[in-house]
Amino acid sequence: MRILILGLDGAGKTTILYKLQVGEVVTTIPTIGFNVEQVTYKNLKFQVWDLGGQTSIRPYWRCYYGNTDAIIYVVDSADKDRIGISKDELVHMLRVTNAILVVLANKQDMAGCLTVAEVHQALGLDALRDRTFQIFKTSAVRGEGLDQAMDWLSNALQARK
Amino acid sequence: MYTLLNGFYKYMVKKDEYCVLILGLDNAGKTTYLEATKTKYTRKYKAMNPNRITTTVGLNIGKIDVDGVSLSFWDLGGQQELQSLWDKYYAECHAVIYIVDSSDRDRVSESKETFDRMIASEHLSGVPLLVLANKQDIPDCMGVHTVKPIFNQNAHLIGARDIMLMATSALTGDGVDEGIRWLVDCIKRNNVERPPRNHDEL
Repeated sequence: MRILILGLDGAGKTTILYKLQVGEVVTTIPTIGFNVEQVTYKNLKFQVWDLGGQTSIRPYWRCYYGNTDAIIYVVDSADKDRIGISKDELVHMLRVTNAILVVLANKQDMAGCLTVAEVHQALGLDALRDRTFQIFKTSAVRGEGLDQAMDWLSNALQARK
Repeated sequence: MYTLLNGFYKYMVKKDEYCVLILGLDNAGKTTYLEATKTKYTRKYKAMNPNRITTTVGLNIGKIDVDGVSLSFWDLGGQQELQSLWDKYYAECHAVIYIVDSSDRDRVSESKETFDRMIASEHLSGVPLLVLANKQDIPDCMGVHTVKPIFNQNAHLIGARDIMLMATSALTGDGVDEGIRWLVDCIKRNNVERPPRNHDEL
């Protein structure tokens, strides 16, 4: 199964990918291009693509939408200034793909970050009517919330088949 | 000619589509109920393992065909901070299923207060309400006779809309069918007030 990890630059996508794959927090640099890894979670094999999130390379996301089963959309919950941009990119994306959506409200370890309800509202997710989605609070550096998210995702993907 | 026939065919087989909200406090069993409903009305549907259903923060959807209409379900998260998101869906729904955990005596009054806050919304006026006393599979839970009087003390808020309280067990699937059929009858009767979602298309 193919999963994309998307989100603005600096949201923590690469950290999440490697936390999932090797279980460790690795030092990352901004991704230009993509990282792709095979991740095994509870006997399920996923091919996970982590695409760069900088403004100039976001237009290329859509080249990867085909054959994608799920999208993990990562939001920096502490970055209130750019949540609007994050919303616009998400809205854009949802128009062209019907993959299952998981939103990770990441960086929950930072003080004063947005709550899940605030992320839900800021991303305009209440406009969704015909798509199953779920939001999880995560902290990639602490490894919190990722297990629950993967558990839900594998369950949802199995039910969908 | 093809377009004409195709259009006619679509017109003949098209079903009216109605939207149903599934609400209630967290851990009431909303998502499990949705899965039970999908299992009941969808051939070969492979339901999620109830033990692996987690707290919903987001939306679960489902679509079933019953009695000549199509129902789309929206199952929302029930935690306190997520309840503020419910009203975004009120104006577009055709019915509400409100799920109560009959085994949780400590929170039944909280559930009732949340229910009253919900039905006070003007966007829900006239919408049929199905209240389900869920988790009847748990021994020592409150029966319909206990739950009903609690949810009955709000006649002024309910007004003239249809309301029914039934016992159910989302885990075993008991009571799912009766509830859905009652709701479909009410939705059909109410379709002048709230026309089906696809009414203008074609």
